[in-house]
Amino acid sequence: MLEQISSLIFQTDFVFSIFRITAPILFAALAAVVAEKAGVTNIGLEGIMLISGLFGTLFSYWTQSWMIGVLGAIVVGTLLALMMGFFALKLNTDIILAGIAINTMSAGGTIFLLYLFTGERGNTASLTSSNILIPTVKLPIIDSIPIIGEIISGHAVLTYIAFILVFVIWVLLYKTAIGLKIRAVGENAHAAESVGVSVIKIQYIALAISGILCGMGGAFMSMYYSQSWNTGLIAGRGFIALAAQAMGRGEPVGAMFSSLLFGLAQALRTKVSGMQGVSSNLISAMPYLVTIIGLVLYAASTMKKVKRRKADEANEEKK
Amino acid sequence: MNNRRMLMFEIIRGAAAILVALIVAMIFIFICSDQPFEALRYMLVSPLVSNGSISMNSIYTIFAAMTPIIFTGLGVCVMFSSNQFNLGGEGCVMLGGFIAALVGIYCSTGTYLDMVIAVLIASIVCAVVLYIPAVLKVKLGASEMVSSLMINYIIMYVVLHFLNNVFADGSKGSVQTFPFAETARIPQLVAGGSKLTWGFILALIFTVLVALFMYRTRWGYSIRMIGINQNFAKYSGMKVGAVIILSQIIGGFLSGMGGALEVLGRYEVFLWRDLPGYGWTGVTVAILAKNNPIFIPIAAFFISYLNRGCTLMATYSDVPAEMVDIIQAVIFLFFAAEKFLAKYRQKLVVAGAKEELSQKNAAAAEGGQK
Repeated sequence: MLEQISSLIFQTDFVFSIFRITAPILFAALAAVVAEKAGVTNIGLEGIMLISGLFGTLFSYWTQSWMIGVLGAIVVGTLLALMMGFFALKLNTDIILAGIAINTMSAGGTIFLLYLFTGERGNTASLTSSNILIPTVKLPIIDSIPIIGEIISGHAVLTYIAFILVFVIWVLLYKTAIGLKIRAVGENAHAAESVGVSVIKIQYIALAISGILCGMGGAFMSMYYSQSWNTGLIAGRGFIALAAQAMGRGEPVGAMFSSLLFGLAQALRTKVSGMQGVSSNLISAMPYLVTIIGLVLYAASTMKKVKRRKADEANEEKK
Repeated sequence: MNNRRMLMFEIIRGAAAILVALIVAMIFIFICSDQPFEALRYMLVSPLVSNGSISMNSIYTIFAAMTPIIFTGLGVCVMFSSNQFNLGGEGCVMLGGFIAALVGIYCSTGTYLDMVIAVLIASIVCAVVLYIPAVLKVKLGASEMVSSLMINYIIMYVVLHFLNNVFADGSKGSVQTFPFAETARIPQLVAGGSKLTWGFILALIFTVLVALFMYRTRWGYSIRMIGINQNFAKYSGMKVGAVIILSQIIGGFLSGMGGALEVLGRYEVFLWRDLPGYGWTGVTVAILAKNNPIFIPIAAFFISYLNRGCTLMATYSDVPAEMVDIIQAVIFLFFAAEKFLAKYRQKLVVAGAKEELSQKNAAAAEGGQK
């Protein structure tokens, strides 16, 4: 059986599928990273992606343009994130509860909105045609390299954007003024406020960025990954992304690697599910189990560090 | 005096939140329905009244729907009270239902002890499961929210694995277990199709028990104190870690019990293929009840009423039932918004303070004359 599995893994289309599966998780994980850096836990990722995915499909259907579809999804995602911000920052709703509310709303609300706008029930399969899906690109030179070309070339535009965004978000957080402010607010809001940073404004901005990223993730899911929108579209990817953020230690690059781990696990599951003697359900549970283990390892290592630092300080004082 | 004012304020605020949600609902209904008033009538009135008379059967149906969410609501209430955002209630409902079903099928003793044993074992297993995120939080500082969310999915897939591969009744077309022993089923409270079981009475009993626990015992006090100010609780000598773990074990126990009673009361076989959603509704219920156990049944009634209303509306008019999620979310958001109507509250507080002051002054003036 191991041979079977290994022969499956060392195929280019398998590696290709890892990237495809990782991209939406990565969008959401980056969204979680930015929000968390500003001290806001965005648990509404799941709902925002589901709703913006729906609007992505709708906008692209109305305008027959995938670009406007993606833009629409981004706008809707941003608005939802800002709405969360309004309740959390302005009206003092606990941000976690605001996120849960968004998720509650998204579950049935999307079905309702879809019916309201189109009269369709439950999915948009009849609305989407291939010309309004997000197109794939063949990268000019890389495409002709044997194995690497097959793996890296031919992805959807947004897949590339997802991985480029890892770098962009890193630059944003660590090389720009606004990134510095975001991190300062997340580290210590009072200290940031005392030097004249408007905490609420920065948190709004972080949430908006988070919403943009969720919007892209939603559009990716409905306009490329599953080719149309349906209620089970996101299937917990928003929550997985929260885990990827935590496991990636809240850093963009770390989040990318943990997202890839989830991508790998899910790709494996699709491959293995047809095999004899393998339970696809148990394999599906693996990524979540891995997350908890990752969380534990991360938490344990930080605990050790803190303890060591405290011990060092105590020693210094003695001297 | 001031307490009464605050209670009044909370009631007014709740009413305002519901009003906002109803206005939102009305806007949607008017956009999407040809007969908006008819639809609205179905949503608001028909759960209680049908054909001009009060429909007991419909009310029983609402009570039946309240049972699991009272339990998850109580569970969330205890967990959130210690300021732990443990969202594992959702998974516990499914696991509790599954374990209870297995015990009901395979460990039948043939007496009515069966249901007690099934429900208890299910609840205890769920308590043990939620011990995991609690311990990770207390010992290692790992976010209980993320780990409990992950546990939900692990539970779901593991349950599906055992349902599909080990315990499935192969003779049936759909994936389901064998039927539970007759003695493991929770008996109906009233005859008819409402499926209202003794689980409902148990839910009310547990509401009182949890309220007594939270407000009349040392442990309950510690849980609430830790929720309000963890450092204070720590420095005043409370065992913070143990209490946090306790609160989440209780949360798991209650959620598991809700799932067990739901499965054994409403079904004859276990056939859930997905997380049932009661855990999330439990969060809504707990927020509406302001984390006060006594108000949980009222909040659960409200949510069940709303659900029933929307279902009826969808059946008899042209508005989809899923609108209920939007209404719920809006109410939820405004209920949880501490600063919603804060200015009005400020006025109330100021008015109260002035009144007290003038009373004191008056008293002082009288004292001066003597």
